[in-house]
Amino acid sequence: MSAIKTLSRPLAERVAGLDRLTEWPSAEPDLPPHVIQAAMDALARGETHYTDRPGIPEFRQWVADDLGKAYGIQIAPEEVTITCGSTEARYVTLTLLAAPATQVLCLSDAAQIRGALHLAGAQPVDSIAAAKQISVLYLRPHDDRQALMTLLQQAETESWWLVWDMSLAVDRPDFHPAQNEKLASRVVTIDSLSRRMAGWRVGWMAGSEAALRLRARKQAMTICTTSVSQWAGLEWVRSGSQWPR
Amino acid sequence: MAALNPNIPAAVRESAADGTQLRYRLMEMAAGMDDIIALGRGDPDLPTPPHIVAAANQAMREQRTGLSPVKGLPQLRRAIANHLRRENGLSVSYDNVMVTTGGQEGLFLAVQAVINPGDDILVPDPRYSSYDDAIHRAGGKMVMVPTNREDAFNLEAEAVAAAITPAAKALLIVTPSNPTAGIVTEDRLRDIAKVAIQRNLIVIVDEIYGKIVYDPWRHFSIGSLPGMAERTITLDAFSKAYAMTGWRCGYAAAPQNVIEAMARIKQVTTGPVATVSQWAGLAAITGTQDCVEDYRQIYAKRRQVLLEGLDKMGFAYGEPRGGLFVWADCSSTGIHATELSYLLLKEARVLIFPGTAFGEKWREYVRITMLEPIEVLKEAIERMIPVVSRYRL
Repeated sequence: MSAIKTLSRPLAERVAGLDRLTEWPSAEPDLPPHVIQAAMDALARGETHYTDRPGIPEFRQWVADDLGKAYGIQIAPEEVTITCGSTEARYVTLTLLAAPATQVLCLSDAAQIRGALHLAGAQPVDSIAAAKQISVLYLRPHDDRQALMTLLQQAETESWWLVWDMSLAVDRPDFHPAQNEKLASRVVTIDSLSRRMAGWRVGWMAGSEAALRLRARKQAMTICTTSVSQWAGLEWVRSGSQWPR
Repeated sequence: MAALNPNIPAAVRESAADGTQLRYRLMEMAAGMDDIIALGRGDPDLPTPPHIVAAANQAMREQRTGLSPVKGLPQLRRAIANHLRRENGLSVSYDNVMVTTGGQEGLFLAVQAVINPGDDILVPDPRYSSYDDAIHRAGGKMVMVPTNREDAFNLEAEAVAAAITPAAKALLIVTPSNPTAGIVTEDRLRDIAKVAIQRNLIVIVDEIYGKIVYDPWRHFSIGSLPGMAERTITLDAFSKAYAMTGWRCGYAAAPQNVIEAMARIKQVTTGPVATVSQWAGLAAITGTQDCVEDYRQIYAKRRQVLLEGLDKMGFAYGEPRGGLFVWADCSSTGIHATELSYLLLKEARVLIFPGTAFGEKWREYVRITMLEPIEVLKEAIERMIPVVSRYRL
């Protein structure tokens, strides 16, 4: 059987601006038996249905508690949404917060967000000098600390959203932008288990006054995150395995 | 028909114009109440069949849970292509298939891949309003194609042709339909295919309920018709037929350049589907299909109970020919469907969805699922009857 190759009408124009597929490495170290057991236990309990749309309550509570303990920031479990990896968290956050024709300031390599921004109709820029209409600061723990701190100070008097993406960090970052009370309501935290459990597709978005809108957009995309993955991920983080990665 | 009662809680009233949010508000209200019978959302209460769970367990024990390719595990894509050729008559190969994070993401990816801002997409009315967001975000505009109860909400080629605008690029078909439980029959699909070819429309067809069709009706795939393979995107998922909603695993079949485009979009929106879910999906599609037939028989019996209950309440309905719902006309009560749903939740502790959650004009309809055991469905009906009687205008 030969494949039908071409649609009878042209594809949407946005497709041409997306990168070709890059298949990610699939090898992952074995997971500890207790994580696998937790996943099998969940299936045995019949956890095969939709979960609560924003994610299982226990996982959202863990995320809220963890950010509170580590950084002293107050985030309610209702402001946490479990996503299909950090990819979905980034896409949902950036397409909701970055309006078309605005710019997203990213201090280091923007490869991870270029596709999402293309779909949002927004552009990445790498310096404040090059920016004309910033909507979002996309910041990561490995960004140049001095430049990052300067931006955060400037953000206090701007209406920018801040996305703090911890998903690629190896060690727990030693600070969090939401510790600045002037910024906290505009900071969305992104994190995931992708460095260790990438194939399970578990990430999250936490905090900010946009939390409920972020949740609604995720629901519109994929309804909820895979149930068995959430239970496996919960066991992983509860066992203290989240840091270092 | 009365206007929306101002005594309905603000959270429900304010969501009334947004079908998806209205459903979520009602579900949230129900979650805070005791002893609710939930006949709202389309989540099968039946368990994922044991052989599918066993396959997932085995994959986990063997640590086969690493990241899969964006388009899905090759074994699963191959199995889906075989299944679609054998069961649906589609001319597809491995390269025409990808795995999606459930059916809803499949629709999002398909629309993003083909719809430009300013394009129109024809949508049968009433509609599954969760798809609105995907269409709006692509910049598309929905153009409604009417269906009606007297015709069991079957879609007519003439109605499709009459709705075509100069900007029309695609037609969305959901068969069996959510919310109406109508199917688009083979004869109608043949006529619709002629219109699609003549007017150069792309057809996006959601067949997620295709394995749940009640006798004597049969599911038919429009993509199997001559001249349709190059203009059809077929969407399906394991969620309903195999009771696998929580696994978030579905699939799309389309011309190769569409699959490539959808995968490029998926790469930057959600990434691959959870690998463990894909192994479960592989077991579902390659294993025994007895579970699908067993479940279909269970739903058929429940459907009968539900229809008898609706008769007692004086609700009319088009014949539900497939799927997991009954779409019932509650106009005999004289009560706005949103108000009726609220009253039934508050006083009967039965959650159903108002028709307005599936299209603004459907204020005389409610959607009721058959996703509870027969005894529970009977109790739900017994609870609903006095409330309907008490408030009937």
